[in-house]
This record gives sequence, structure tokens and C-alpha cells, in this order.
Amino acid sequence: MAKPQIVVMGAGHNGLIVAAYLAKAGHKVTVLERSSEAGGILRNTEIAPGFTAPGIGHTVGRLRESVIRDLKLMQHGLELLTPDVRMFAPQPDGSAVTFWGEAERTASEIRARNPKDADAYLAFDKKVRVIASFLAYINVATPPDAKSPSLSDAIMGLKLGKAFKDIGAVAGRETIRSLPMAVADLVQEIFDDEALRGPLSTRGVKFTATGPWAAGTAAVFLNDSAGNDGGAPGEATFAKGGSGALAAALVKAAESYGVTIRTGAEVTEIRTTNGRVVGVKLADGSQIDTKAVVTAADPKRTLNLCDPVELGPHMVWRANNIRTPGATAKVNLALSGLPTFNGADDVDRLKGRIVIGTSIDHVEKAKDAVKYGHLAEEPWLEATIPTLVDPSLAPEGKHVMSVLAEGAPRHLRDSTWDAERDRLGDVTVKTLERFAPGLGELIEAREVITTEDFETEYGLSGGHVYHAEPGLDQFFAWRPLAGEARYKLVFDGLYLAGSGAHPGGGVTGGPGSNAARAILGDLD
Amino acid sequence: GTITPLDDDYLWRVNDHGKTIREIRRWSKNDAEAYEEYGQLMAEMARFIKPILSIVPPDPGKISPRDWLPLGPLAKSFKELPQKLQTTFIQLMTMSAADFLDQWFETEPLKATMSASGIIGTFQGPRSPGTAYVLLHHYMGEIDGAFRAWGIPKGGTGGISYSIANAALSLGAEIRTETKVTNIITKGGRAIGVALEGGEEVHADVVMSSLDSRWTFIHLLEKGILDPEFESDVMRYKYRGSSGKVNLALDGLPELACKPGRGEWLRGAISFSPSLDYMERAYDDAKYGEFSKRPYIDCIMPTLVDPSMAPPGKHTMSCFVQYAPYHLAGDNEWTPERRDAFGETVIDTLEERFPDIRSKIVGKLVLSPKDIEDWTGLSEGNIFQGELSLEQLFFNRPVPGWARYRTPVPDLWMCGSATHPGGGIMGANGRLAALEYLKEKKKGRRAA
Repeated sequence: MAKPQIVVMGAGHNGLIVAAYLAKAGHKVTVLERSSEAGGILRNTEIAPGFTAPGIGHTVGRLRESVIRDLKLMQHGLELLTPDVRMFAPQPDGSAVTFWGEAERTASEIRARNPKDADAYLAFDKKVRVIASFLAYINVATPPDAKSPSLSDAIMGLKLGKAFKDIGAVAGRETIRSLPMAVADLVQEIFDDEALRGPLSTRGVKFTATGPWAAGTAAVFLNDSAGNDGGAPGEATFAKGGSGALAAALVKAAESYGVTIRTGAEVTEIRTTNGRVVGVKLADGSQIDTKAVVTAADPKRTLNLCDPVELGPHMVWRANNIRTPGATAKVNLALSGLPTFNGADDVDRLKGRIVIGTSIDHVEKAKDAVKYGHLAEEPWLEATIPTLVDPSLAPEGKHVMSVLAEGAPRHLRDSTWDAERDRLGDVTVKTLERFAPGLGELIEAREVITTEDFETEYGLSGGHVYHAEPGLDQFFAWRPLAGEARYKLVFDGLYLAGSGAHPGGGVTGGPGSNAARAILGDLD
Repeated sequence: GTITPLDDDYLWRVNDHGKTIREIRRWSKNDAEAYEEYGQLMAEMARFIKPILSIVPPDPGKISPRDWLPLGPLAKSFKELPQKLQTTFIQLMTMSAADFLDQWFETEPLKATMSASGIIGTFQGPRSPGTAYVLLHHYMGEIDGAFRAWGIPKGGTGGISYSIANAALSLGAEIRTETKVTNIITKGGRAIGVALEGGEEVHADVVMSSLDSRWTFIHLLEKGILDPEFESDVMRYKYRGSSGKVNLALDGLPELACKPGRGEWLRGAISFSPSLDYMERAYDDAKYGEFSKRPYIDCIMPTLVDPSMAPPGKHTMSCFVQYAPYHLAGDNEWTPERRDAFGETVIDTLEERFPDIRSKIVGKLVLSPKDIEDWTGLSEGNIFQGELSLEQLFFNRPVPGWARYRTPVPDLWMCGSATHPGGGIMGANGRLAALEYLKEKKKGRRAA
């Protein structure tokens, strides 16, 4: 008997990954993408003729190795570029701290600033790796069902129990203590130097609305290191050709298994009858009948496409209370030359992520603004210069700079993003110029993608890149909602495979590949 | 009841449920409806949570099923909870008070005043994740069988201490006041008694410390007894006192600008919490090491309940003030001048709602967290003997792996707010520690 058709909503990385896995297992899969191009947050944009920049996501180092292998992404054109440096963090005093892939190298440079912190860094890197190795197990797991644990839950539970036991009693206690902590506490109890605390703390609050003093941001940090070789400084890996090249490889992989990808096809309604999915309705009025809809859109957006009567008032209330407070915007710069950063004697230091988060207070203040609905006066920034590892992205001798600006709430209280767009660009450049004097004069073109654009252009509820805030209240067995964390979402035949599902946001492919496993278990 | 004074209005919630609902309806019909449902849900929640307060937490470093046995019934009762309550439980454990309340209510003074119980005594703001839990923590004080009935005891809170003391005395306990313990005496690694100021030694089979862990392990124990790793766990335990206290002696009753006259509304709590932003900004100041320019104040006038606490016609006003951080920016200390400035800020804030208050003040006592530390011996002036943040609860309170009232020093036990289930006038910690000790003693006797 022919396997039934599956409709996947959204051709972002998770949508493409889940589609590819399902098609590989023999299903007939159609991906419906609302915009004119596949790729989601990985899409490239052209800032000016010849300058290519990533739309939102500029690094791809967390992509699961199993996904690369299973979907043969290398054969489909993916090439990963990993510089030695992970994070470069310039300071107001003109100095800088460089975080290399090699912990020893980082520590030896820190030693000149503070010998105690140098030793602490090595211990911290080790601790992060131990906890992250345990989280990597959790990330591959389908969250347990609290109501009726099945045999596979029990097996998964035993596996997790064993993984937990394997890290040892001390590390076990440390894991339990660390996850709900504020990332500020996590780094403050270990390091004396704000120049280390600030940049490291940013890792717990990237794409979140909260600052480093918020409980649970340590879990975001540790989770960001889980899976691949993250360690204390995190990943800095680029796709050759820009993040869009990863999207292109995923498209090719999916198509090689027979997936049909339709762009410009927006789903306006998920049709259900008696708690079962029966099909989708598109913006052009056409309908597709199907018993299985997999959504890689965010859960709030997805549930708002369902019939509220079928959902029932309680689920409507819960869906609308999924927290999606986007607070990050994007500024892409086309540069006529390479900017000079204080403290960067060597261009190698600029090849990874450049983080402007000079102290815990700086990072916290950037996010304070979000609480009151203002754009931060001095956002914290994560910049990359992808042309340093891949010169093909700009005309010869010129560069592209991709900057995530953190501290830009989706909803401004006293203004609109139309009115503030330029100010966002200005504030970002001004903040960069404090550490890279003269950068402003190198700018040939500037593209500002606001938090509102994230919602309207990319379809992210609340402009939240992670689909749902990665808070402790939207975590693991209750991501996106308690009782809905096992990739099946409310209705029979509706599955969630995007960042709103466990293990959450980032270019990991985790939700997509976990969801594929759960869906295949359900359908086959 | 609690009244939240505002510029031209107020929100007054009282113990009479119907009246409170009518008052909230004046602000928002939706909120009045939600308030009923919310109250029921929280009552059900508190009923589920209450048994947790009586569980001795297992050690998460050990994975043997026996250690986790006490959690069995809890896991089972969680599984049996309706989905709605499961969700609420998870939210309460993880969300910020503001996010939690935002799901239900839209009236700012209502949300802000409710969120206050989530932040009292903590170094967190209403938008800090984890404060929803503390919100429930305060719901569990069960006085006269009614949940969330904050009692004002006759004779002040001192009255509670006296009645507990009397109970102890009647059972044969001896209480010695003005007897300062200078150190815990150990022999062969075991606690065998305490040494007092003046040189006297009191020997005992067991020493139970209701002090916080920093006092117990760092100040009172001889150096070198503890494993350095344990000691560093104690040292990194967070106190971060965040509140101050201002007590005023008044030669007459002050009047609220928004609700003039002397009435019932002055007999309960007067909460300076007009909006979530107000509360959060108060926290923001403290985060950067300053006391709040406009603090949250929980103010009561005990003389309206018990006139014997002041001369006839005079009154006392007791203000719990947040935030006043123990650690000030730039390594500044709490000097007398700074304490005065803090007191003035509180009085300025009071004056915005009680315009005539300044002329009625005949005496004042201002306590910074440093003063609270000096007066009471609570490290950093933390009234809960350690921040009630998620990583310092249950398994991890007061030291990861040592949540079972025992300590690495045999015969030295912990029994205060520093232990599970944390601070507040509940008495649960002391009771659990005693039960645990008695259980162990019985086991020991059987073994012998």
C-alpha cells in the first residue's frame, strides 16, 4: 500500500531536515514554504551588489553530525569552515580576550591578565564539556510522557540515568545545580575579570529576552555547548557560500529523496475534524488533503492556524500564552575594507564571533531595555566577518559584517520599528565603533532587519528566532507546552518539528530529526 | 486585607471574597472572573505542594532507587494530577511571577501587588524566572486553616516566638538567652558540644544549628575540619540580602491621599506596588548596587490591631522595604549616612501616598541589610538564610548533596531556614530536622 502524503509547513532547516528523513523512509512529502525562497533563518541576503550576508543565522557549527551524515550533506555541496578562533571580545580599555578552540591557548593568553582566571578557565571549560555531554543525551531524546510512560520511555529513562551516573556524583550534583542558575552566577562564581564574565555570559542570553541575571540562562549556555565541540566559548563554524549554502544543501538532500518543495505557498488553515488533521488550506484558496501535517513553523503560529473550536478555549489560552518575546535584530554591513578592532593584533582573532558584551552589567542593561519596550542604548552584539574565511561573499578586498543586535524588543512602547529602523542601525554601528574606530567610514551599504521584520518576513511569532523563549518554563518535557512535547501537537496527525520543540532553537537540526523519528514511529 | 494606594485611586483587597471581587471588577471584568478561577487553582496547587514540604530531599549525586524512594509518592501524585494542574505546577516552578500573572490578569496594581509575595526576601525582580515559585511559597503559610491568610499576630511576630518557647519549656527544654556560642567543639571529627562566650563549654550528644550555613560551617567550626570542596560549596552559597526595614513611631494616624479618613483599609497591609514596571525598576536599581529610588514597601500599622504596642493615641508603622542590596556598587559600605539616605528615600516614598506622614514622625528606626546582619546574625541580612533561587532549593539546600539535615560533621545537624523547605515562618525545617534525627537515633539504638 502506498504510504500517505505528508505535508511539511516551512522550509527552514528543521522543515527540510524532517522532510528529508521522512522521504528517505519512503514517504511522499511536500514542503510548503510561505516565502519565495527556502532556507528560513539561513537564507542569504544581498546587502549590495556582490555582497552576500546571512539573513539571520550566521554560524552553523551546532548542526548535528548525524544529520550531516544521514542526509549526505557534504555530497550535496555543504562545506564547513572552522577557524581556530571561537570568540573575540574587545574591552573598553583597548584590550581584548580571545577565546580559541583550544582551551590551553585561551588560558595562556588569559594568564597575562589574571593567572587565577587562567586556571579557572581550564576548569570551567572542562565542567562545561562534562555537563554538555550529558545534555547531548537529553537533546537526542524524545521527552518522556508524564501521563503514561511507555516501554521506550523507560528505556530512554534508563539510558539517561546511566549517562547521568557516568558523569559521576560530583558532576551530577553540579549539573542539577547549574541548569536552573543565572548565567551571571555561573561565570561570576568562577572568574574575577569582567572581561571574561561579560562575553561568556552572552552565551546564555543569545536570542532571549532575558538578561544574564535571569534564572535558567545557564541552561541556555550549557545547551549551546551540547552536541558538538562547543566547550566554554561555543562554536564558530561557517558554511562556505554563506548560511544559505547550508539551506541549499538541505534542499538538494531533500529533493534527492523525492521531496517536493513549493515556495510561495502559504498555509492559512490547518483543517481538523474530531481531533484529527484532514488537510491544509493555502492562501491561494487551494486545499491539500492529508492525514499528516508536520509544522516547522513556531507552535503559536501553528496553533493559530487551527480551528479554535476544535482546540477548545483552554488550549487557545495556552497557545497564546506561549512566550515569544523576540529581542534580537540584525544589521548587515557591506564594508570597503577590513575594520581594525582594538586588541586584535592579528586578523586571525577576528575570524570567529566578535562579541561586544563587555561586562555582565552591559549585557544585563541591554536586556533591561527590552522589559520596558525600548531599544537598548548600547545593545550587546555578536558580529561575524564571514568574508575572512570565505572571501567569495564580497568583491575582492571588501568585506561583509553580520551583526546580531541584542536589546531590540519586538514591540516598542513609544515608537514603531519603521521609525526606529535607522536608529537601530546607528546604535549598532556606534557601539561597534567604540571598539573598532573608523568602522563607520568603511560602510558602503547597510541592511537593518528589525525584530518586526523577523515576524513579518520570516514568520517568527514575536520575532523570536528560537520560536519560543528558551526559559525553564518552556524546556524539555514542557516545550512548547506540558503534555505536547513529544512532537505530536494537540491533534492526531499534527507534528511539531521546529525550534519550538525539544531541544529548541539554533541550527542543530535536533527538533527536525527527533520529530522525524517520532513521526516514523507513529506512522509506520 | 491589602490596599495598594495609587495616584488618584487604589486597589483594596480584603478577606471578604465577594467584596474583593467587586473591587477588582471596578478595574477589570475579566480580572474579576480570572481571580476566582486563579484562587481555586492556587488552593489546589498548594494542597499538592504541601507534602513536598515534608519530604527529606534525596541526594541527586546518588542514583540508587532507595535514595529516591521518598519521591515515589510525589511522582505518583503528580502523574495523577489533572493536566491543568501539572502545567501550573511546572509554570510555578520555572516562571517569573510577572509572566505567570500576565497569563491571568491585566490590572497593573493587582499584578504588581500579587507579584510582591514572589519577591519578598529575594534578590530577584517580578520579571526574574523562578519568582513564581516564591509566590506559592508564600501561599503555603497556613494560619487558621486558611491559605494565604497572612496573620498579624497579637503582640507582634514576637508573640509567635514566645508561644513556641513556652511549648518547648513545657516539654522540658531549657532556653538560655544572652548566651553567645563562639564555636562548635569537635573531637575526632564529631561534634561534642559548643563553647560559649566567657569560656563555658556545653557538651551534648548532638548539636543542632538553626544558624545559616556560613555561620555554622565557616565561623563556628574550627578550620581544617571540613573537606575543602564542601567548604567552597558553602562559600559560594548566595545570601544577597535585599531588604531593609523602617519602623516609625507616629504621634497620630496618617491619612492616605487616595483614600482619606481612618478606616478598615489602614488595618491591613498597605502595599507600595502600583505597577510591575515600578517593582522591576526598584529591582533594577538594586541589581546595579544601589538601593531603590522608589522601593516596594509593605507597610503595616500594628497598633491598629493591638493598641498596647504604643501609648494611647500613638501609632507604630512597620515598613518592609525592598530593595536595599547588602552589596553596594563600587565596594561601598553601608555607612550611617547611607542608612539615613535610605531612610529618607523610604519616607519620601511614603509621603507620596501619606502626605501628612512626615509631620507625625516622632521616632524612627532604619535597618539596612548590614544592620539586619549585625542584629540578627543572618548572613548578609538575608531573612531566609540563603536566597530562594532554584539552584538553592530542595536537593541543594543548604549544600548540594547535604539536604538531609545532616552535615559532614557527625552529630552536627542543621535545622533552620537554611535547610529545605527554606525560609518563612513555617516551622517546617525544625520539625523535619527533629523527625529525621529521631529516626536516625532509633535506627542507631536498634543497631546497637
